[in-house]
Amino acid sequence: MSEKPQVKSSPSFFNNPRNRSLIYQFLLLAGLAYFFYGIINNTLVNMEARGIKSGYDFLFTTAGFDILMSLIPYDATYTYGRTFVVGLLNTILVSTIGIVLATIVGFLMGVAHFSKNWLIRKLAVAYIETFRNIPLLLQIFFWYFAVLATLPGARQSLSIGEAIFLNVRGLYLPGLIAEPGAGFVYAAIGLAFTAIIFLVRWARKRQNDTGQQFPVFLTSLGILVGLPLVALLLSGIPFVWDFPALKGFNFRGGITIIPELMALVLALTVYTGAFIAEAVRAGVQAVPHGQTEAARSLGLKESKIMKLIIVPQAMRVIVPLLNSEYQSLVKNSTLATAIGYPDLFTVFVGTTLNQTGQAIEIVFMTMAVYFVINMSISFVMNRFNASVELAERN
Amino acid sequence: MKEFKPLPDKPAPADVVGVIPWLKDNLFPTPLNSLVTLALLAFFVTVIPPLFDWLFFSANWSGTTQDACTNKDGACWVFVIAWSKQFFYGSYPIEEVWRIHTCLIALVAIIIASFKLHKDLRNKVAIPLFLLLPFFSIVILDGSLIGLAYVSTDYWGGFTLNVMLAAASIIVAFPLSFLWALGRRSDMPFIRSVSVILIEFFRGVPVLALFFMGSVMLPLFFPEGTNVDKLLRVWIVLTLFMSGYMAEVFRGGFQAVPSGQYEAADSLGLGFWQKTLLIVLPQVIKISMPNILATFVMLFKNTTFLLIIGIFEMLSTTQTALANSNWLGGHSTEGYLFVAVVFWICCFSMSMISSSIERKLDTSHRN
Repeated sequence: MSEKPQVKSSPSFFNNPRNRSLIYQFLLLAGLAYFFYGIINNTLVNMEARGIKSGYDFLFTTAGFDILMSLIPYDATYTYGRTFVVGLLNTILVSTIGIVLATIVGFLMGVAHFSKNWLIRKLAVAYIETFRNIPLLLQIFFWYFAVLATLPGARQSLSIGEAIFLNVRGLYLPGLIAEPGAGFVYAAIGLAFTAIIFLVRWARKRQNDTGQQFPVFLTSLGILVGLPLVALLLSGIPFVWDFPALKGFNFRGGITIIPELMALVLALTVYTGAFIAEAVRAGVQAVPHGQTEAARSLGLKESKIMKLIIVPQAMRVIVPLLNSEYQSLVKNSTLATAIGYPDLFTVFVGTTLNQTGQAIEIVFMTMAVYFVINMSISFVMNRFNASVELAERN
Repeated sequence: MKEFKPLPDKPAPADVVGVIPWLKDNLFPTPLNSLVTLALLAFFVTVIPPLFDWLFFSANWSGTTQDACTNKDGACWVFVIAWSKQFFYGSYPIEEVWRIHTCLIALVAIIIASFKLHKDLRNKVAIPLFLLLPFFSIVILDGSLIGLAYVSTDYWGGFTLNVMLAAASIIVAFPLSFLWALGRRSDMPFIRSVSVILIEFFRGVPVLALFFMGSVMLPLFFPEGTNVDKLLRVWIVLTLFMSGYMAEVFRGGFQAVPSGQYEAADSLGLGFWQKTLLIVLPQVIKISMPNILATFVMLFKNTTFLLIIGIFEMLSTTQTALANSNWLGGHSTEGYLFVAVVFWICCFSMSMISSSIERKLDTSHRN
């Protein structure tokens, strides 16, 4: 066999893919550099002309405005840095409540879609299709201005058992005040969780080794309720109920949930819940019917089929969708500014920006915060996704 | 030879067809379910008649002022009727409204043309028309360039503004997002990282923060003295926001095109752009269509957020109307209900179209 004659091919300079890609990238770099140079230049000139200061010194000056609701001590004498933290905590509060409630509503409605009952099925479809297709801001306004604003005044409050009150100023719930000895109960709760983690691991290992099952769920429930209860009784119940009571024109004591927070949570829950329900529906429908049939032919009970066959496969579709729904819920919580709930956006991009005029720093900080929150959600959900993902055999 | 004659089909057993078996299967399958059904029915019976009464039978329909709403037990639709022009056209001068109609008719005509035209003409005619439409609309609505009465953007508003902003944004976002998605798939590291940063930035940041950026930061970026119109800045922001989301949709579409298509195009000797535009793009658009529509529905709903930076789209017109001193009778439910119904009809029909396309494209025979 003679060797093939090598044809020497050397493309012209411009037809060489390497050179081309270098030239394109250089052109983009030059274009971007020119663009940013122009922007920065213009910004500096404009800022000088308008007398806007730059830098982050404003974070240490006194804010001088009050905030409607704060999870940490705050009044007008604190600094702008403190307002940032107050806003951030309020954002995290509303996002967390929203995510938990929307997940519950979404899963309930998504499962209702597969109910045997025709009415429940249609109700789930109606819920999903109605609330998914109405702008969120409109829903927030509806709850705030059309529903909560028409509640009775403090003296005519709606109440449940003289413990929970609802009126135009908000929702008043009884609170718990911890007394000395409460640490004992907290420790018991922590101990219960640790015990459950070990129990789950041990039960899984035993099932893998011997095939014997252990009633993990009931035992865990027993531990979770029993341990703190025993601790509570042993330490002589170190908690006192703090009931809200009408004093003068308003309620004092207990936990107050302001109507802005209620409206925002209601709207976010109902809106995102509809999307999550749709994701759950898609996930369950993505599991081929043959899986259910195969499970039945193996003699599994209906409840076991759901738990062992359908849910694990449906989760593969649901979890990535949940991830993006959670992230959009956090982003949508910025609409708080429309009704004045003091989240990060309202107190920082709204009031602080108005008072200091330092648009670039403030918008940058706010964007960075939402970025970090969403990255953390994404991180957690990706970890969760990895645990439900198809483990391919090599 | 005896011919084979099958007996006529027997009817289905009486206990599986008809109303009563259906009721038994779907409403009363188990005792618990029967209880739920009865509870729900009781709920409907108590809620629906008063609701319909409030909505229609006792509602106030005729009149021009709040005083015409004499029946307090019914909805005051007079409020919605009296403000309907503002809801749809904002403060656009009423004798010039034909211009808005022209733009909307042009939009609908181009959409129909892009479906009905012969496929050889479709790309050559419909795409340039789509790209020209926003500029055509601006010229017509503004009017000063072509000798019509000048209407400042301060007067543009209402539901038609929601529609036009959303349409103008998606039209420009289409080519832009396609480029970003291409960049994200590129082998060139710098182009890829720039695309990734752009896409993730516009997807990761709340759209409200982007609007604020557009209204407080963008003016700082332009040379001193230039005054960029508020609506133009909003248009830029919406376009970039939409591009970020659509680029991800396109990326999914790119991944769904079988690699054999790329290889076949390569073996035919097509160049990069020929391959991309003639072979890949048509398939990507077809695959991504349901998701593009879903993204558009999101953008369309998000145009209501413009209320917060003071653009008079439909929801902020409603808020203005509710705060009007002649209409302080608490008509918020009626107002919001009307806006909700208008948006719902648009969004629901778009998601219907999207799922029908999805069903048409779905060739797997599952279940």
